[in-house]
Amino acid sequence: MHTTDDPAQATAGPPPLGEHLVAPSTRAAMTIQQEALYAAREHLRGQGFTELLPPLIGPVTDPGGRGAKALDVDYYGHPYKLMTSAILYKQASLRGFGKLFYIAPNVRVEPPETAGTGRHLVEFHQIDVEIAGASRDDAMEVAAGLLTHVVRHVLDTVGDTLAGLGRDPLAFAELLTGKFDACTHTEAVERLRGGGHPQSADAEIDWVGEETLSREADRPFFVTDYPKGSRGFYDREDPDRPGVLRNFDLIAHGGYGELVSGSEREADYATIVTRMRESGENPAKYDWYLRLAREGIPASAGFGMGVQRLVRFLTGLDALWQVSAYPKLPGVVAP
Amino acid sequence: MSGVHAPGLPEDLIRARARRGTAEAFPPADTYGRQLFGAGDTDSPAGDPRVSDELDTARLVPPVFMPQRLEKLIDLGREPVHDDVDLTTTVGGFASPLPLYVSAFGSTRVAAGDAGIAASRQAGRLGIPMVIGENLVPVGGYRRDTATRSPILARLRAYADACPPDRGGVVVQQSTEDADSEVWNLVYSDPSVRGLVDSGRLAFELKTGQGAKPGLGGMTVVGADDARRLADRFAVRDVLGADGWLRCATPGTFTEEILRQQVRFMRNNFPRARVWVKFHPGRDVAHAAATAWRAGADAVSVDGAQGGTGWAPRAFVGQVGLPLAECLRRIGRPEGCLLVTGRIWEGGRAVRALAAGATAVGLGRAALLAVDEDAEEGLVRLVQALALEARLLVSALGRYRVDALTPEDLWWPGQPAPAPTGAGQQPVAPIGGRA
Repeated sequence: MHTTDDPAQATAGPPPLGEHLVAPSTRAAMTIQQEALYAAREHLRGQGFTELLPPLIGPVTDPGGRGAKALDVDYYGHPYKLMTSAILYKQASLRGFGKLFYIAPNVRVEPPETAGTGRHLVEFHQIDVEIAGASRDDAMEVAAGLLTHVVRHVLDTVGDTLAGLGRDPLAFAELLTGKFDACTHTEAVERLRGGGHPQSADAEIDWVGEETLSREADRPFFVTDYPKGSRGFYDREDPDRPGVLRNFDLIAHGGYGELVSGSEREADYATIVTRMRESGENPAKYDWYLRLAREGIPASAGFGMGVQRLVRFLTGLDALWQVSAYPKLPGVVAP
Repeated sequence: MSGVHAPGLPEDLIRARARRGTAEAFPPADTYGRQLFGAGDTDSPAGDPRVSDELDTARLVPPVFMPQRLEKLIDLGREPVHDDVDLTTTVGGFASPLPLYVSAFGSTRVAAGDAGIAASRQAGRLGIPMVIGENLVPVGGYRRDTATRSPILARLRAYADACPPDRGGVVVQQSTEDADSEVWNLVYSDPSVRGLVDSGRLAFELKTGQGAKPGLGGMTVVGADDARRLADRFAVRDVLGADGWLRCATPGTFTEEILRQQVRFMRNNFPRARVWVKFHPGRDVAHAAATAWRAGADAVSVDGAQGGTGWAPRAFVGQVGLPLAECLRRIGRPEGCLLVTGRIWEGGRAVRALAAGATAVGLGRAALLAVDEDAEEGLVRLVQALALEARLLVSALGRYRVDALTPEDLWWPGQPAPAPTGAGQQPVAPIGGRA
């Protein structure tokens, strides 16, 4: 029988779907995913969050970055997009729901070069959280608490499944203390350059750099203060430090890389329009969102935690496709 | 009419406006698609068609003493000739056999279909970089079906199939309307373009302005059916009379910070593509160019307000925007790769622009005329003629590399003579008692 816990197989990519669905490692991953989602919902509901079901299509979606493309949908003759993320709807929903979350399906046609990162799928899901009136520190605290709770729940309920995949529970020992490290983007760049990696100071940490930092750590850690130009227009620019965003990533240790991206959000209409132009967007296509912004969107902070990335981290499997029942790798046409 | 006359006023033009209104603000719409307009043509304030602007009044001035020729003589062990001039250079990150590229023609009728493909194929054969213009995807779509291949993919393939693997490159523009269609994302994630990406021969050009109509966006003339189809993406206006509708793209809004961040966004999002930035000949072009280079642009191109393949109001042609020579003067010694376009078609203007600071020059309307003359060889021959002239001129200046040209190689009318330099300035005693 085909198993998918072999690193060589992970690099080669998924087998035909029929084989993948019956692989023991796929079954194990789905068991762990189910418990992770249960724990996430339990934790967030316990903290007063409301779960909404996200929209799937809209006239615009998160413009994203790093070359990922949104898929077009012909919606009664109007060009709509499948959601790459529902960030704009999360912000809009704050008007009625001060603390909300989605378990949101997203589609991003990633550039083929990301097929080999082990961290990208075209179809994936996020635990998408938004908190009205929150600061970046508040959102980081929720993200850390969520991750800690999920890991503890999975260890408690399906520890034997993890053991069957060869995942050592000691890998989570430092995480369960709840004390995560943090560094700024500038510090991360310096550390990478010090190690000989040519990381750009005004761009996203690249895939190799992210994995390097992740491997060097023994517990998850935050990277904060990404430069403007590396993230979407909705990440708030620090009013006291132009060019620096009040955002964060939460990077897993052990080489698993980014689990969470989050930020304080821009809520001021004029600032949003200006930031849209800075990211090359045409404000006119964001008409519905900008109308709301003119009327007033609550200030907020929030984040998205990648479900498949979380499950890969929990299982210790080598590639993201191994923890998706229906994997679609970038650049590979799959059913 | 009552027979009123107004000597001293252009009475015919005024009466034409009184009859046809806004249609008279443009050239006749029925010439769209056939006539490439520009400064110096019959529809604009005219002059000698060979002398269109200040850059054409400058002269290339070879010195008598040529130390670089001596260096080349030593290198070769024989007297150098014009064939020894090395024109290879790096154009916006691409290896090019000549300091030359084919500049953009976008969704305009002249460049549509066969002409755009023919230009792509010939540019590929020549191995010189080529820019694919804006608005192709919002107008022509991005279908994969080979039978109805989209204009942008057809041009990319025609170029890539003909181009040697170690040279050249394709540059894809994106305007504000293109951003809605995610042109760069489409191209960057398209498996059929992967060969160009993997070989480092794909660039994206941020278009911030129009050479022929600085401060405005792209304009074309469309029929009534297309006007209806495009109305949700462009401003489409009934101002041309019975012969067509005016389709206007927006120019986009830029500040120093918006430009800086957009360039960084391009580098962040498309790390394997080169970044080019195109400016109209604005009065702050030096500031804009420096901002782009410092944000990491691989090339800055300046369009010299000379004309275009689309459409422009009469009030703009020859009346708006800095002349190319003044752009080059304001930029001074460029901090990075500087590309210029505007009425380039032969070696003299090309070498003058290079001497004034450009790294390479772009062929726009001339390339279209050449492929219209001969779809298989026209552009190749035009470029061969230009390259020969460039080698002759550069060697005449005692230079043997194209990047060895300097502003010292130019003389401008009215410019004061430079102070004498070198040993010859020492007073010399008259010989034989002559004063």
